[in-house]
Amino acid sequence: MAVLATLSSIRKQFGPVIANDDVSLEINAGEVLALLGENGAGKSTLMKVLYGFYRPDAGSIAMDGSVVTFRSPRDAMQSGIGMVFQQFSLVPALTVLENLLAALPNAPWLQFRGGARVEAAMRWLKRLAPDLDPRRPVLTLSVGERQLVELAKVLNLDARIVVLDEPTSVLTLSETERLYGFIRTLASEGKAVVLITHKLADVAACADRIAVMRGGKVVDRAEARDRTPHQLVEAMVGSGLVGSLEPPRPPESTLPVLEVRHLCAQVQGRTITNVSFELKAGEILGIAGVSGNGQSALAEALARLVPISGGDVVLSGVSIASRRPEGGMASDVAYIPERPIDNAVVASLDLSTNLLLKGVRNLPFFPKRAKIERQALELITSYDVRPPIPATLASALSGGNLQKLVIARELSGKPRFVIACYPTMGLDVLAAQSVYRELFRHAAKGACVVWISEELDDLMSYAHRIAVMHNGEIVGIVPRAEASRQVLGRWMAGHVSEAA
Amino acid sequence: MSAGRFGLLMACGGAAVFLCFAIVFLLAIGRPPLTTLVQMVLYGFGDSYSFSESLVKATPILLCALAVILPARLGLITVGGEGQLYFGALTGTAVVIAFPDGPAVLLMPAMLVAGAAGGAVWSGVAGVLRARCNVNETISTLLTNYIAVLLVNYFIYGPWKDPASLGWPATIAFPAAAIVPTLSGTRVHLGLVVGIVAAVILHVGVTRTRWGIALSVLSGNRKVGVMAGFSFVSQTMLVMTIGGAIAGLAGICETSAIQGRLQAGISTGYGLTGFLVAWLSGQHFLRAVPIAILIGGLIAAGDALQLYSKIPSDSATILQGLLFVAALGASGLAGRWSTRHG
Repeated sequence: MAVLATLSSIRKQFGPVIANDDVSLEINAGEVLALLGENGAGKSTLMKVLYGFYRPDAGSIAMDGSVVTFRSPRDAMQSGIGMVFQQFSLVPALTVLENLLAALPNAPWLQFRGGARVEAAMRWLKRLAPDLDPRRPVLTLSVGERQLVELAKVLNLDARIVVLDEPTSVLTLSETERLYGFIRTLASEGKAVVLITHKLADVAACADRIAVMRGGKVVDRAEARDRTPHQLVEAMVGSGLVGSLEPPRPPESTLPVLEVRHLCAQVQGRTITNVSFELKAGEILGIAGVSGNGQSALAEALARLVPISGGDVVLSGVSIASRRPEGGMASDVAYIPERPIDNAVVASLDLSTNLLLKGVRNLPFFPKRAKIERQALELITSYDVRPPIPATLASALSGGNLQKLVIARELSGKPRFVIACYPTMGLDVLAAQSVYRELFRHAAKGACVVWISEELDDLMSYAHRIAVMHNGEIVGIVPRAEASRQVLGRWMAGHVSEAA
Repeated sequence: MSAGRFGLLMACGGAAVFLCFAIVFLLAIGRPPLTTLVQMVLYGFGDSYSFSESLVKATPILLCALAVILPARLGLITVGGEGQLYFGALTGTAVVIAFPDGPAVLLMPAMLVAGAAGGAVWSGVAGVLRARCNVNETISTLLTNYIAVLLVNYFIYGPWKDPASLGWPATIAFPAAAIVPTLSGTRVHLGLVVGIVAAVILHVGVTRTRWGIALSVLSGNRKVGVMAGFSFVSQTMLVMTIGGAIAGLAGICETSAIQGRLQAGISTGYGLTGFLVAWLSGQHFLRAVPIAILIGGLIAAGDALQLYSKIPSDSATILQGLLFVAALGASGLAGRWSTRHG
């Protein structure tokens, strides 16, 4: 198999942190290479070095056998390297076609629609998403569609090496399946695909070869078929670290503590209608459903961040629907929203400020800096947020560490009601386990937990009951013991309840 | 390289670029560049009189800069210093017109309070529009500037015109009881003290208090701010009215101490200059003080140059523009450098 690119002894350091430590890697044509590792293992950094985004402190890159120096991503693109980032670089206000046209090499200053340029711009998108109307503004696209446009943009530049950074973390199940298909097709056409991921499912679905990174080093290299999932996890996190997670015990009390009665709300066009359920103290209700069916609206309504248009939420006999949204979150409610960067943290502020937001109204008018920093450091250390420096800006944190930051803030107190919206999205195995431990710990202490997730397997292993949302309504609720993938799947597709 | 040393280097770089610009400009208008620049420094800060005049010019600029920086801490970009200054001058003058014979002990505070209140109301209008109706505060403050200036014109050409002024559009001269105190022998007045004290208080307010946290959280991510229990509406009203009050004080102090009466042209673009000073300072209250004094010196030197060297004082304005371009360019480059290499 032809070697396209060779990274030799790459070293990259950010301040005290060594992100890549003497890493060597070969990228072959016609092959899908999974770059596997936990958050912060150095996968993205390594690929950004290849992409010319960072300059390595030591080591070299060879393309087709000759050493090259990329001064910027532009140089890398000219050598046929394309990268699709976790954060997309599309212009939301422009249409799909305009985005693709603007990204073509030598895009003219004045763009005319039609003709050969449009053909060239649409070449790949037609294959990737034949149904996508190129006249739609990018801001109306779903995340999955945006990713396809981004991929088409990279492929338009005749990329021979396509790097995908955690591409499946934002996709729904069916979108993920489709992406796997594209990745296999690209490889079969002779392109090299590098798949940065921490999900074993990605590896199983489409990788030929695996390089596992841990702590900035490549710790394992193998053909995909030569490794079992367990071996891979051990390589990712270090052997002996993955414990098994005890499913939480059933709640002891039988009285409902939280009653949601006929709740209706509208949040920016998303509606939830007539949602009712009851939770006992210590009970974990998992909410499954295809994303975009009102789960996050339900979470915001339960957290009283949006006005409720009908129904009531009663916690320990007190209606929390009467609490004004302007008053902020109640201190006995913990809320872990989806997309923490948008919904839970202030990216431009440091970690200690972000950590004190929960009780900020109870601070003295002149807060004591030293005390805040000390408390922040304790939380950061005990929840393993990296880098463990309270003065770091939240914008500098990776997705997984941001999620840990929010968990540290929301779950370090004594909430009676926990709302967790996709709490493990973007987290690796170890981090996800520690999030679950936190959730279960609060449940064991008697908190009601509403846990919105797309990880059906996890819901079916740990939640006491599972509800399915479809089109803003709860289609069915079933105890864990009686839940099956078939029933839940039918409900998720909107086929309203026959009995489980 | 440490951030501090890097900032210093950038400042020196900006200054060097400015010097090059200034030399080219002075050569272009046929002036000996070095002599003229040295003269400007001397006219601005060379002796105690020049320095005091620079402080006089710096005072309204500083106050207007503070009125920009405070809303900027909430993420609001206001350009309404000029209008707030004029309206504050108008409302402060109204008190003097109504009670020209009042005792100083009452008239002076009433005049200052009325001036501050006027500025606060003027800015508060833009605040309400922003907070309740989501009207862009930059546009609304820009447009209300014109209304305030024209309102002042209406009063000084119309109902408040001093009959003894022989047609000159101005009110009666303020009575001694309504002249804000000045440093003896100079025109440096109370406004400067107000500006410096306000800068210190506001700096402590935004960096050391819970209120400062509220502002930075709301400006960084409003949704999260509301979740934490902060109100964007009330904070908007607060920063807009406090800012307006400060600019209103600039107006009434300028009218009282410098002009002695309300007349056209009480401000020569102090509002806009204050806006530029705010941006040069990086929206930092304390840094705004020396920068305002520097710009005040530049303006004062321009006036002096016109008087003694027959260079149009507009050249000082051009030099001021070159300074802003050089400084903002340097800070922009610095920002780009630090994102690339940070």
